[in-house]
Amino acid sequence: MRRLPLADPGIPVHRSPAAYLRWLVRKQAGTILVAMCFGIAWMLAQALMPAAIGQAIDAGLGHRDTRALLDWATVLFGLGVVQAAAGVMRHRLAVSNFLTAAYRTVQVVTRHSVRLGATLPKRVATGEVVTVGATDIAQLGNALDISGRLAGSVVSFVTVAIILLATSVPLGLLVLIGVPVLVLAIGPMLKPLHRRQQAQRELAGDLTTYANDIVHGLRVLRGVGGEEVFARRYATRSQRVRAAGYRVAGVESTLDATQILLPGVFVVLVTWLGARFALTGVISPGQLVAFYGYAAFLVQPLSTLTEAADNLTRGLVAARRVVRILDIEPELPEPETPDPVPDEPGEVELADAASGVRIAAGSLTVLVVSGQPSAARLADRLGRYTAGSVLFRGVPLDRLPTAEVRRRILVSDTGSRLFAGPLRAELDPSGALGDERILAALGAASGADILAGLPDGLDTAIEERGRSVSGGQQQRLVLARALLADPDVLILVEPTSAVDAHTEARIAARLAEFRTGRTTVVLTESPLLADRADTVLFVSDGVLAAAGSHAELLADPAYRAVVLRGEDDDRPGAAADPVADADADADADADAGVGVGAAGRRPGAAGAGAGRSGTAAEERIGAVAGDPTLPAEPRRAAEVTE
Amino acid sequence: MTVQLPVATPAQVRRYARTLARRHPKALATALVLHALAAIAGLGAPRLLGNLVQAVQDGTTRVTVDKVALAIAAFVIGQSVLTRFARLVSFRLGERVLAELREEFVRRVLALPLSTVERAGTGDLLTRTSRDVDALARTVRFAVPETLIALVTTVLTLGALALVGPLVALPCLIAVPILWASTRWYLRRATAGYLRENAAYSDVNEGLAETVEGARTVEAMRLARQRIRRTDGDIGRSFAAERYTLWLRSVWFPAAEVSYVIPVVATLLVGGLLYTHGMASLGQVTAATLYVQQLIDPVDRLLSWLDELQVGGASLARLLGVSAGSAEPRSADDPDGVRSAADSAGSAGSAEARSADDSDGARSAADYPRAGAGVAPALVATGVHYSYVDGRDVLRGIDLTVRPGERLAMVGPSGAGKSTLGRLLAGIHPPRAGSVTIGGVPLVSLPLDRRRREVALVTQEHHVFVGTVADNVSLPRPDATEAEVRAALRAVDALGWADALPDGLGTLVGSGGTELSAAQAQQLALARLVLADPHTLVLDEATSLIDPRAARHLERSLGAVLAGRTVIAIAHRLHTAHDADRVAVVADGRIVELGPHADLVAAGGDYAALWDSWHGRH
Repeated sequence: MRRLPLADPGIPVHRSPAAYLRWLVRKQAGTILVAMCFGIAWMLAQALMPAAIGQAIDAGLGHRDTRALLDWATVLFGLGVVQAAAGVMRHRLAVSNFLTAAYRTVQVVTRHSVRLGATLPKRVATGEVVTVGATDIAQLGNALDISGRLAGSVVSFVTVAIILLATSVPLGLLVLIGVPVLVLAIGPMLKPLHRRQQAQRELAGDLTTYANDIVHGLRVLRGVGGEEVFARRYATRSQRVRAAGYRVAGVESTLDATQILLPGVFVVLVTWLGARFALTGVISPGQLVAFYGYAAFLVQPLSTLTEAADNLTRGLVAARRVVRILDIEPELPEPETPDPVPDEPGEVELADAASGVRIAAGSLTVLVVSGQPSAARLADRLGRYTAGSVLFRGVPLDRLPTAEVRRRILVSDTGSRLFAGPLRAELDPSGALGDERILAALGAASGADILAGLPDGLDTAIEERGRSVSGGQQQRLVLARALLADPDVLILVEPTSAVDAHTEARIAARLAEFRTGRTTVVLTESPLLADRADTVLFVSDGVLAAAGSHAELLADPAYRAVVLRGEDDDRPGAAADPVADADADADADADAGVGVGAAGRRPGAAGAGAGRSGTAAEERIGAVAGDPTLPAEPRRAAEVTE
Repeated sequence: MTVQLPVATPAQVRRYARTLARRHPKALATALVLHALAAIAGLGAPRLLGNLVQAVQDGTTRVTVDKVALAIAAFVIGQSVLTRFARLVSFRLGERVLAELREEFVRRVLALPLSTVERAGTGDLLTRTSRDVDALARTVRFAVPETLIALVTTVLTLGALALVGPLVALPCLIAVPILWASTRWYLRRATAGYLRENAAYSDVNEGLAETVEGARTVEAMRLARQRIRRTDGDIGRSFAAERYTLWLRSVWFPAAEVSYVIPVVATLLVGGLLYTHGMASLGQVTAATLYVQQLIDPVDRLLSWLDELQVGGASLARLLGVSAGSAEPRSADDPDGVRSAADSAGSAGSAEARSADDSDGARSAADYPRAGAGVAPALVATGVHYSYVDGRDVLRGIDLTVRPGERLAMVGPSGAGKSTLGRLLAGIHPPRAGSVTIGGVPLVSLPLDRRRREVALVTQEHHVFVGTVADNVSLPRPDATEAEVRAALRAVDALGWADALPDGLGTLVGSGGTELSAAQAQQLALARLVLADPHTLVLDEATSLIDPRAARHLERSLGAVLAGRTVIAIAHRLHTAHDADRVAVVADGRIVELGPHADLVAAGGDYAALWDSWHGRH
């Protein structure tokens, strides 16, 4: 048996679903051929059994010839043994063919998925790819699995046809025409059955989704109640599945009865005609029994034929999905003749033309972003997840190979995920770092307490999607992982959004130290992080509005509104808080109801952000660009305009 | 760390299967009788064919042949008609039993104490709701009726064989020992093997899903090699599991197939010898041979469904096992609870008798006055200790009195025990030592629905249920009017976007529906809370995923709606603390600072340092 997984699954052909299926077949043509040989031996042995029984009855019993009886009984037994032996070999090869096709598909889809990376979720629903693993690979496997049985069916059908015609032409023709007619007659009945089964399966699938939904939401339910409602709704849906099941039962029981009736009537017909022929001596009594046996046997190869057609159709449908995924190409093109990366950073490590943001090399820069595009979009541009005019050490990012960009610049955003596996491998995928370094990074991410809570420390297995740790813990582990990756430029998007203020303060204090001498960009609204930055850049509506230290920038009401979240401003400005204006009445009620805090001043018209014009922004960019070391003096848009 | 939920014992499963069978005695009897009749009808043809061969051998007329052929046709038609109804009855019975099983199971899940769910993790429960329910469906739909039919058919065919002639029937028995031994060997290993195979297959799937869902992280962290290695490793394990079951089949299949052919050969041989010695007729031998051949099908089906039956039994055990843990006390199922609700009008007579059971002289649930007047009773924690793992206390001696109508903010570093304390205050977990009482009654002794009218908990966990927006909000009060739902949404600033959805409040959301942001999901959770209207609310980071400025606004409008209610807010945003009546700083399982914001800032402790840093002051 072929050892799996394959060391190299090969380069798939994905011109069309059929081409993909053919590629799979070509790749395992050897085992498919062997499976066919065993399939033929297996089916032939079965096909010849009625003949042996007939001969035993005629030659042995009819002539009371013990010797002949013994001989034919031995032949019969021999056929049985061949059937069993060839059967198991055919089965083994069928499983091998099934698994090879299924696993090979998982392998090529996985390889293609990791090649696509960030492009994948943008171009295809993740459910689509998961379906490949959940059902499609089985369909592809089935399409190849049936090859052995199919070959056996064709050969045995032909063999029986020859025997029948040689014995009696009219009876032979009756069987050869009758059996396909039977199989075809049952075919149309399968459609409504499949339709109803499909309907029930879908309802049952919904029901399972619903039950899973209940389990996922159990904690929420426990908090506020609603169990009875859910039990009732579940029961309603469950009864719908039952009703669909009743509809399936109606067709299925009729089909079952038909599958007894049609072959039964046919066998009666064969027997009746056979008996009449036997009466006139055209055929022997043993041959009559054999005909009875053939008529019963032939149903099997013919249903295998229909099954094969069905499997192939489903296999093509499955292949279509696989091909659709394999057809996707990475979104951003690779440069044909990439530029080399300067080894030494200049003064400016990263410069974004559209916003005017320039990141000084070796500094910890906090980007506070207000308005559109969002911080995440800006980070995507800086890390080349979307196209943009960004210079890395003076070289445009689109002139660098993507792999090189990923190696140099790491964007760790809020969508960053943990994967299942031991924590150590999670934090240090390279496996090259020592415990000391890992613990240091965990410490910087204020995650030492997570480790203390895990039974096996760094060797503890983390569950799928990091399920076994809380949201805040996941975020800190993701941060530690990003720190350990130690890229030239580390871009963190809201790295502390899910942790408490105490922890956030600790992370803010340790982050700079851990990244000393390396370029670090943090996109955040957290004052605790901004407070620790070498430089804070305030980007409003897509352009750099101010730069300076956190304390200096706090003088800017627009900046203040963003980082202090209206801490002491009840109404932090029209642009910053549309909700407040839209629902002023509710707000007033709220103030009355809460009755605490919020007594602060209300800046008139909160105009800080109002006066920013395009020219002002450009001037500022010029100013900052002229001095990339970004002096501590705050530059405010308002000042420039005023 | 995760502990599996319990699994029912084989005896429990058997007992349950028996009660299940007894629940529908008529349908079950009808199905069995019809199947038996169908099987008997199916036995006519070989016997008659045997007669026909005999008649042909002896020389007979065309009329006799025609008559016999007609008789066979009649049996075939009879068999198919009987089969139609037998199957219909048993399929329907299966569907009915299945619906009952899964509905009962979901009720069990809904009654599980949250602490049990959390200890076991949702993974195990999810496997049970999806994979085990599916496996059981397959068993009830196919395996049970098929084995029953196969069993009936086998027994009746053997009977028919014996009727043909006891002597010609005997040879078929020589296959029994081989069949018995090989099947026994196989079944002992099969279930575990197939379960392992399924688990390995799920791993392959999970790995692929993880790769795809985390595709961007894979690219960012350059994890391509690791992901490929993970999938190839999963495939290797899946292949090993497949090879094991394949090996089992490679032994069992040939043994079974040879066992099927041996009786045919033996019948033919022995029958032939009996015939040559005049001890049996040609017709008898033919009929016997055909019967023995006809036996192969039901026996094969019987055997091949056996492992499916085993899998179904294992699934049933896991489904039944869910309730083996204790369920939450619920007034609906709990006669005591019902009585206490009646007593709540004022009389505490019956409570006297039970109060002896309660420790520390705390009053029992029964005489706890259910105040409808909107005055929240005091929530008091005294000397509370709690540990998830024995010997590792997360809370170490918490004393806290939450004053009625007060807004208390809890802050502190991660892992300090804030959330745990929140859960204890909401009555989710009982304290390991000490007590949490409301109006003097231990919180966890209250029936679940009553407890929740007192204290509700909303965490940062944002789950949107499958259903409409209105469904999601009205969970705690399904009878709520649309106006009430709208008012609740307005109170959490959510009415605007909810109305803007394609179908307004009727828009389908949750898995498969319109996707809501995490912030919107949290707003729904809070709207739910408004509708539930408990005396005391525990908000555990309930607004953490909402844009900070919007969150503050939301908290204020929520505050207006919940005026007079006691609110315990666990927060990592300091403005929540700033707005509260009192702030409790939790560190290392203890409350280290407690007092109004201004006092704590003035005191110059931990909290003050944090506050200063927030404002860029060093």
